[in-house]
Amino acid sequence: MPPQLHEIPMNSTRSGVEGRGVDCALPHRKTPVDLTLIVVLVVALALFFDFTNGFHDTANAMATPIATGAMRPKVAVALAACLNLVGAFLSTAVAKTISGGIINEGSGGVSITPEMIFAGLVGAVIWNMATWLFGLPSSSSHALFGGLIGAAIVGAGFGSVNYLVLIDKVILPALFAPLIAGFVAYLATKLAYAITRRYDNRPDGRAGFRYAQIFSSSLVALAHGTNDAQKTMGVITLVLISAGLQAQGTDPQFWVILACAVAIAAGTYTGGWRIIRTLGTGLTDIKPAQGFAAETSTAATILASTHLGFALSTTQVASGSVIGSGLGRRGSSVRWGTAGRIGTGWLMTLPSAAVVGAIAAFVAHLGPLGVALDAVIGLGIVVVIFIVANRNRVDSKNAIGGVNEVAQSGRAVRISKGTSKKPTGKRRDKRDAA
Amino acid sequence: MINWISLVVVALAAISSACLIVVLYSLGLRLLSTAGRTPLAIPAEFTDAITIVTPAEAAAEAKRIRKAAKRNPLSVTQQRLALVGAYTCFILCVAAVLFGIYLIIPAFHH
Repeated sequence: MPPQLHEIPMNSTRSGVEGRGVDCALPHRKTPVDLTLIVVLVVALALFFDFTNGFHDTANAMATPIATGAMRPKVAVALAACLNLVGAFLSTAVAKTISGGIINEGSGGVSITPEMIFAGLVGAVIWNMATWLFGLPSSSSHALFGGLIGAAIVGAGFGSVNYLVLIDKVILPALFAPLIAGFVAYLATKLAYAITRRYDNRPDGRAGFRYAQIFSSSLVALAHGTNDAQKTMGVITLVLISAGLQAQGTDPQFWVILACAVAIAAGTYTGGWRIIRTLGTGLTDIKPAQGFAAETSTAATILASTHLGFALSTTQVASGSVIGSGLGRRGSSVRWGTAGRIGTGWLMTLPSAAVVGAIAAFVAHLGPLGVALDAVIGLGIVVVIFIVANRNRVDSKNAIGGVNEVAQSGRAVRISKGTSKKPTGKRRDKRDAA
Repeated sequence: MINWISLVVVALAAISSACLIVVLYSLGLRLLSTAGRTPLAIPAEFTDAITIVTPAEAAAEAKRIRKAAKRNPLSVTQQRLALVGAYTCFILCVAAVLFGIYLIIPAFHH
């Protein structure tokens, strides 16, 4: 007889709305799926999710230094991959609950089965792939939450979702992340330009911000590694515990940490060039000073949020920072159309992943055959997305290729090396074109 | 419900730390060019860097910087002071970033 795999063990120290004490409810299931099969599938899918998470988020750290020419594209993604790998090993604090309280796990609530996790991961992976195809930076954790919510609703009804926590942890942070980061980046950009601005026509040395960009973007990549690999480690560990393959309350096994670190680093190295193009050149034309200001703001906001208890999405913070730095430079403009597209993507992330997760959960309820069907269909969709993406390939060589036009127009507005002491109006704008 | 206080704390912490680092580095750059040591960071790839778009323009910019350094209106002592100030700013900036790394890595404070 297969061991019980209904319960994802909860940690009793959870606080606030999430605190629900010790688990006791063990809902019955009609068609138990072969335990090892589902565990292997979930682990494989979780690692693939980790991979998509990596290549989705390369842009957060590396879009701006690539766009300003601070680093060669390949060098930048390699650096980000190394730092993600290191970051994954540095942090061992793994999530104690898969959904972070959004789903009423535990006693009185639903128990998240490996099939649900599987369906949720299918939703998250497919949404990540779709947004990558359109070059939209979107939050991988929101996709994971969405997938799980969809699967939970199909498995246990609408009552299984804690909507207060959903608003608190997903919707409001999604609103505040770009606002806070944008404001910080706006201020930082203003300061950087104000301090380095010269009225005597001597060189201002703003190109020197390129050196700083290498370090500020590295900080973002490291922060990403310490945050995001943990999510997948948590998912795999909780599945292993629920399958009885690991003792309750223990830390992730070494192979889990290693596999997750390698998966996220490989994803980062592959580089989501489409998203790098969007963040690096789609929102605004980034100059070194802006890039440095944006990356510093991203790093500061993420660090502040993870260490002071108000978790913000890395992706949303990074996008907000780029927009803020676009607003902060004189003569610069933000392409609000692209910003709107990204915002729409954020709004749709949770519901879309939920719908895919719900469909996958519905199919998975058919039993082992359903799970296998899910796996095959999911794989098929991923392959199709890769084929479609390949038709219009974006890689390290052409990710920032469209920028040449910008460079051309930049040359057209080159500052004449005049002698006027007090530049006004348009001339001031041109002066800040560096 | 939402913890407004922690939201405000996060915002303030982010603003102060980001601005501190940016101000320190910008000040360092400013003093560096005041001291006649303007850095010329040529783009790794000639993408959108508006003032330097081609290798030829990079060379022209280098020439301009050399010329400006030769005709520095400041005295030698003033230039030295500026240089010391610039390095101080960079060191403080690095210290601030290292503190950030210290914060990222949980092993240091558990």
